[in-house]
Amino acid sequence: MKSRSWSAKTASTVESMVVEMSAQHPAYDALPADLQSKIFEVFEHQGQVGMRCNAADQRTLLEHFRLSQNYDFLVDVTAIDHLGKDAPERFEVVYMLRALQSNHSFFRLHVWLDERLASLPSVFDLWDSARWGERETHDMFGIVFDGNPDLRRFLMPEDFPGFPLLKDYPLKGRDERRQFPKVVARGDRMVEEEPDPYPTSIGRQMHTPDYIEEVRRDSKPRE
Amino acid sequence: MTQSPENSGRETPVPSAATLEKELEKGWKDHRSGVRPSSVSSITDDDGEGRMVMNFGPQHPATHGTLRSIFTLEGESIVEADVEIGYLHTGFEKLGENMTYQQWVTVSDRMNYLSAINNNVGYSVAVEELLGIEVPPRCAALRVIMCELSRIADHVLCVGLQGMDLGAFSVMLWSFEKRELVYDIIEAVCGARLTTSWTRVGGIMRDVPEFFPDLVYSFLDEFPPIIEEIHGMLLNNKIFVDRVKNVGTVTTEQARSYGLTGPIGRSSGLDVDVRRDRPYLGYENYDFKVPLQTEGDSFSRYMQRMEEIEQSLEIIRQAMATLPKGEVVHDDFKTSLPKKDAVHKDMESLIHHFKLVMLGHGIRPETGKSLYSCTEAPCGELGFFIASDGSDTPYRLRVRPPSLYNYGLFPRLVEGGMISDAVAVLSSFHVIAGELDR
Repeated sequence: MKSRSWSAKTASTVESMVVEMSAQHPAYDALPADLQSKIFEVFEHQGQVGMRCNAADQRTLLEHFRLSQNYDFLVDVTAIDHLGKDAPERFEVVYMLRALQSNHSFFRLHVWLDERLASLPSVFDLWDSARWGERETHDMFGIVFDGNPDLRRFLMPEDFPGFPLLKDYPLKGRDERRQFPKVVARGDRMVEEEPDPYPTSIGRQMHTPDYIEEVRRDSKPRE
Repeated sequence: MTQSPENSGRETPVPSAATLEKELEKGWKDHRSGVRPSSVSSITDDDGEGRMVMNFGPQHPATHGTLRSIFTLEGESIVEADVEIGYLHTGFEKLGENMTYQQWVTVSDRMNYLSAINNNVGYSVAVEELLGIEVPPRCAALRVIMCELSRIADHVLCVGLQGMDLGAFSVMLWSFEKRELVYDIIEAVCGARLTTSWTRVGGIMRDVPEFFPDLVYSFLDEFPPIIEEIHGMLLNNKIFVDRVKNVGTVTTEQARSYGLTGPIGRSSGLDVDVRRDRPYLGYENYDFKVPLQTEGDSFSRYMQRMEEIEQSLEIIRQAMATLPKGEVVHDDFKTSLPKKDAVHKDMESLIHHFKLVMLGHGIRPETGKSLYSCTEAPCGELGFFIASDGSDTPYRLRVRPPSLYNYGLFPRLVEGGMISDAVAVLSSFHVIAGELDR
């Protein structure tokens, strides 16, 4: 079993494999010079190519890939949270594109996204699959896709305040449970308590002194 | 926690509609996106225009899982449709970031629980590609055989349920009976029927038992007649045919734009199949066709699945005829678990085993590498995007479930039709909630 080739459907000879590896991805080669300069890194792992760009150029590049190069199949949209890691920005939004007409050519576009901005233009008008792909990324990371007509909560309940796939979202325990409103008895009435403000948020790390203090305060026994 | 005055909340005597509206507005202003939920979340009466909002699911028998659709009805026709998903959300992706590469195989069972083997294989192939390791030929062939068996079980069940929803109950019973043949094989191979956890990164759990070929060959003899029987039962059933023909038609353009894959994509003329386009596990060595339909309606989705079953049988026949002998686990024990007997007998295997299963040792892909890998699951393209930070757990594990993107078109498809058409469309879409919500 040879490993799968990602940039062309079949690599029949060793020669063609070598050429493939040394050349850039066809999608990169077909870019006009001004757009090529916006991609500041083309990287490759196991024959699969990824490109990096900044959030400001995301829409221009994706429009070009869809309209001029006919990358007509948006496989998936997702994000990575680089909290506390040595990365240029906190978020990395990943678009996986495939051109069904030209040999199922595939590559990924990685977009660096500032956590203070945490918003990108939506591409739902280019691919309809982005409607739900972006909606899930929003639901899990809190990244806003401007222009997406249906950016409600997706997998989480509609009154849920947190974003579970952030790295500072607690995996279990009190902090996770207290996201939900609870009903308590007060006198002869049942009263719905508002959920606590979200304990972790974008831009704040877990296990800071403040956070630990907050956990300690909240874990006092109920009066 | 102490009750603070700011925290007093609203009281249960039902507040007026205006107050509720204000509360809702306030709640969603706080929310990062500032977007308000659009749908009303309970059954409401006439809004004055003769329309009614109706919840279809999550407990409706025709939804086959916890799927909730919210239909705005005018009489019996659907004017506006919306879906709410997430009832089975269990945070598989978050779990993936906190489990080792080997451990997550168990979680992958729970995605598409009707064909767990395909998820196991899809995930293992993804990690193996990330690590750049190749499995032995026998392992690859066995994975192919089991995947295709599982695909047959999934397709035949889907067809059976489609029949059940649309007035042909016996088809469901027949398909369940034949599906048991597949589960017998799965049980013989890995001991479990549904939650198989059969693969390991770099191989499979253990070699198949000696009587495995007998089981598969008797399956290949016993199963095919059911195809003709189901066709005979459904194609001569006027109720079934009338309810699925020209219902829920997906155009090729829609399929491409919404990212539809698998039988649903192919039945609408979108010629995609990962097994052929990006061969993995040696699928390029088998001679099989990728069936295509052009109509894109519920009927063609039924026909598509039946034709795919025949192709899967063909692949199993070829794979059984050429099943190689040899090891079933990759021989580098830095990444793959050694055999259990060896672990009990010799020191080196015990050390390898220990290093692999203890948290903090395990498999470590290169730092900063990421890969998207896809396989063809029964519902469509099952993709895994794995980003590594050099530790023994994935830094990010994204699942691209086929059901999610397939289901994205569903609300647009049922608008303008009748409620009964929605049932026909949903059963032909075969959306698995476990995979949809993860």
